[in-house]
Amino acid sequence: MRCGNLRNAALRLAVCGMVLSSAACGGFGDGRQVRQSSGPAALRILIGSSGDAETTAVRRAADAWASSSGNTAEVTPAQAIAQQLGQAFAGDSPPDVFYVDASRFADYASVGALEPYGDRISDPADFYANLRTAFTHDGRFYCAPKDFSTLALIVNDDLWKRAGLSGADVPTTWEQLTSVSERIKAGGIVPLVIGDTHERIGAFMVQAGGWIISPDGRRAVADSPENIRALRYVQTLLRNDLARFPQNLDAGWSGEAFGKGEAAMTIEGNWIEGALRADFPTVEYSVHELPAGPKGKGTLAFTNCWGIAAKSPYKKAAISFVEAMTTVDQQLAFARAFGAMPSRRSAKDAFTREFPRDTSFVNGAEYARGPVNAPKMESVLADFDAGLQQLARAAPETILKRLQKNTQDALDD
Amino acid sequence: MARPTDPNAASPASLPRGPAPGAGSRGSTPGGRSLTSTFAGYAVLVFFSLLFLYPFVIQIANSLKTEPDATANPLSPLPDPISFGGYERVFLGTDMPLWLGNSLLVTVIVTVGRVFLDSLAGYALARLRFRGRRALFSAVIAVMAVPGVVLFIPKFLVLNQFGLYDSYTALILPVLVDATGVFIMKQFFESIPVSVEEAARIDGAGVFRIFWSVVLPMARPALITLTIISFQGTWNEFPHTLVAVQSPDLFTLPRGLADLVTGSLGMGTRYPLKLGAAVLATIPVAIIFVIFQRYFIRGANEGAEKG
Amino acid sequence: MPDTTTRAVRRRFRPTAATREAVAGWLFVAPVVTILGLFLLVPILMALWVSLTDWNGQGSPFLAGVPYVGLRNYTRLFTEDNLARQDFMTSIRNNFYYVVIVVPVQTVLALGLALIVNGTRLRGRTFFRTAFFFPSVTSSVAMSVVFLFIFANSGAANHLLALLGVDGPQWFADPRGVLHLLLGRIGLVDPEAPPAALTGGGPFGLSWWEWLSGPSVAMATIIMLVIWTTSGTFMLMFLAALQDIPVALEEASMIDGAGRWQRLRHVTLPVLRPTLFLVLTLGLIATWQVFDQVYVMSQGNPAKTTLTPAYLSYQTAFRDFEYGTGTAISFVLFLIIVILALVQRRVMHGRADRPRLRRPAWTRRS
Repeated sequence: MRCGNLRNAALRLAVCGMVLSSAACGGFGDGRQVRQSSGPAALRILIGSSGDAETTAVRRAADAWASSSGNTAEVTPAQAIAQQLGQAFAGDSPPDVFYVDASRFADYASVGALEPYGDRISDPADFYANLRTAFTHDGRFYCAPKDFSTLALIVNDDLWKRAGLSGADVPTTWEQLTSVSERIKAGGIVPLVIGDTHERIGAFMVQAGGWIISPDGRRAVADSPENIRALRYVQTLLRNDLARFPQNLDAGWSGEAFGKGEAAMTIEGNWIEGALRADFPTVEYSVHELPAGPKGKGTLAFTNCWGIAAKSPYKKAAISFVEAMTTVDQQLAFARAFGAMPSRRSAKDAFTREFPRDTSFVNGAEYARGPVNAPKMESVLADFDAGLQQLARAAPETILKRLQKNTQDALDD
Repeated sequence: MARPTDPNAASPASLPRGPAPGAGSRGSTPGGRSLTSTFAGYAVLVFFSLLFLYPFVIQIANSLKTEPDATANPLSPLPDPISFGGYERVFLGTDMPLWLGNSLLVTVIVTVGRVFLDSLAGYALARLRFRGRRALFSAVIAVMAVPGVVLFIPKFLVLNQFGLYDSYTALILPVLVDATGVFIMKQFFESIPVSVEEAARIDGAGVFRIFWSVVLPMARPALITLTIISFQGTWNEFPHTLVAVQSPDLFTLPRGLADLVTGSLGMGTRYPLKLGAAVLATIPVAIIFVIFQRYFIRGANEGAEKG
Repeated sequence: MPDTTTRAVRRRFRPTAATREAVAGWLFVAPVVTILGLFLLVPILMALWVSLTDWNGQGSPFLAGVPYVGLRNYTRLFTEDNLARQDFMTSIRNNFYYVVIVVPVQTVLALGLALIVNGTRLRGRTFFRTAFFFPSVTSSVAMSVVFLFIFANSGAANHLLALLGVDGPQWFADPRGVLHLLLGRIGLVDPEAPPAALTGGGPFGLSWWEWLSGPSVAMATIIMLVIWTTSGTFMLMFLAALQDIPVALEEASMIDGAGRWQRLRHVTLPVLRPTLFLVLTLGLIATWQVFDQVYVMSQGNPAKTTLTPAYLSYQTAFRDFEYGTGTAISFVLFLIIVILALVQRRVMHGRADRPRLRRPAWTRRS
């Protein structure tokens, strides 16, 4: 395959190996500038697909773009995209276009793997502001958000009725969440099942007005009184058996416990709809915005963008491809195919008309907080999650202090 | 990683010895106690064989179950009903045909390469006198002692630097020879009487001719051992593929299987499918194991050691 | 092809037979030397360089712009109070408990099975030998998949436990340390509220309580898998050594009236000592490198309790783009393995020099 220059490379390497000084090996690898190819582009697109539906839909859209633009586009679904990308960046030929998860975005952007093309796409201000923030690094908007999802409160209608509750009882504040949970618990039903990670519990931190890093992404603010208040609140729910983790209900994730009817409420994103349809088709449920905390409404957003490799020789074609993938019509087509919520605000009305049940999810976009946008945070957050698993027993201050220290270390690094 | 199945030494002098024919005369203590202890030993053996083999029964049985059946009765050795849905999805829903093809291609090339190149080097180290031979042999031993895990990132670096990363060459070339094989062959050639070669040399045969037509044919047992060990090792190789390639077109079976299982976006549990894929990964080695068992056992036996 | 070459050489130098042989020798070893050099020696040198830099995986690590940081990637694993050290020490702890359980258990199991298989006079020896050995030749990835299924929440293991009236744990989701659970069970400490003396502090950024966790329940599944896969190989090694014991020696000891245990202690075990050393060394080397199973089964989860240095180094490099730290971790791991192997050799060497009937191959090399 790409072994053409082996002897040559071997020779250079031999010299390099002997001397091992950066100067002797200056001729190696590529420079900063990537030469752009002219003529028809052969785009390689790597997607972290949620399933066959998504793969097929993206392939179809890519084919349409390819035939209308005279290029080719090969879509490959990745099983483990984070890992494949990591090695591809270090190798010399990463895919031209690929999904970038917002939680990994800063890692890629900070090492210069991504092309900052965000403002070269048409009407960038149309993307929801917090989605744009999620893909902004050092003040530059890097890549166009593909779609997004937010957390909402999912209510099991049967259990709700069985607990003697009506639609008017759906909680909109923490206080109501507590009181309604107590009524449900009195009926012998587990009120709330919630995942034991920062990707769920973090929503309470947002509602309390806290977060892990400062808005400018430079300081750790994890041990703030707001965060302590949020974790104390969740701790109270856990200690009083008003909320349980899925593991305690013998389920792999909240959706499973909710689908089995083990709990009356859960906090999940709109992916739960597909999962319930597939595994628990008989469950009747409704979707509501999350209860507001002391600082108002808050939820978490999860999103991917269409990343373009800084090393791609076909950047122009790649941008044209992303342009085609992020039109309102195309986003609505994706929504129909696999339930993705459009990242363009101008698609919102058409989307909610077609998918009224998702209204609460879409509304969350206005006040949602994207993932921690800073590099080297994955390990820090994994450590935080380990702390959250102990939340029922451990002091929130201790957990947050540790998070604060690790976050600051990562930011300083 | 470096599983201790890697054999490092083989010599014809120590073929696996079965129980001595006269084994009956051993330990013939009077009846009663011997009988109970034999029975106890037998019971222990049966228990452990179950423990060692039942996971394979579970693997095969559940790959033939429907998903609900596999979830409800994972222990049962009998699928009810028998379903080939898992295998169907393995072949239609994943890149299994591609993985099988890649695995076969890589395994065959690497096996042939190792057998030939390791024998060449083994012969030179055993028989040919040249300056630096001793040092070279020490180097081979030293290489065997390097834990594979240390080479992880380094291998990636070197492949990347050569521009080989993500190619068939990257999958094959770095594992085309192995120090262990060299060691096995050297040990073997040392056991062949020198007189055979002397005769050929007097007839005027060149060094390669002697090696190829005289010595190598005598090395059949060692060659078979090396072949099946290389086959098994390469077929099962996982970490190397992890740092050598990343595009799905180049995945071998273990790599594809690992991605199938760890893919964060993999839908549901899909155990019949995953177990079916695992069965397919196990079958070739299992067949070869059954046919060439004694060579496997020899390979593992003969003072395998690193460092 | 070497023939033509040697002929060419002959024309120029009128070589003696010795020269021809030397040339052939080098030609014969050339492919092996080249490939091993290029893919073993050179990579290690390159990695040593990378471990002294902050290369982030973009472009070549040998370009001028790559920041040189000296030994910092190493020192931060030991001296700096940060997450990198904490993760590294956690991985060391996890791997330590893994080694401490796997090595003795697989050795004893292998020895026990070998003694029984060797001693049995019934039919089926070959079958048992095959049965115990078969797991060793299978793919580690495939077997990890099987064990994922066996230890799933409602998997075979928990069904089996349910038959015995035990409520099985959620194996792969359970980060609780086995030692913690044990201490809790015997009432020594309350794992929910460990004594402050232990949680207050400890060496290298982990508290004493964290160091004393034992392997997590999740790690226990990997431990079981590995013992299951490797015991067979070691059993074969013991078996081969047992078959080297001359019948005469055994019979002599029997005539002396030695009991079964005495015979085991005074006749069998001394003969097995070299093999025992070999098995322990191999086990030690292999167990410090556990990677495949972690990659497939747990990726270091839950709560980092199955993180091992091998997996951490991989993850640090390829996921976090900290190639310097990743390679530094692998070199430290290398050092750990070398030191342990040397220590073990020291400890066992003095005792290994008993009269032996046949020196096994491996001792000839030292």
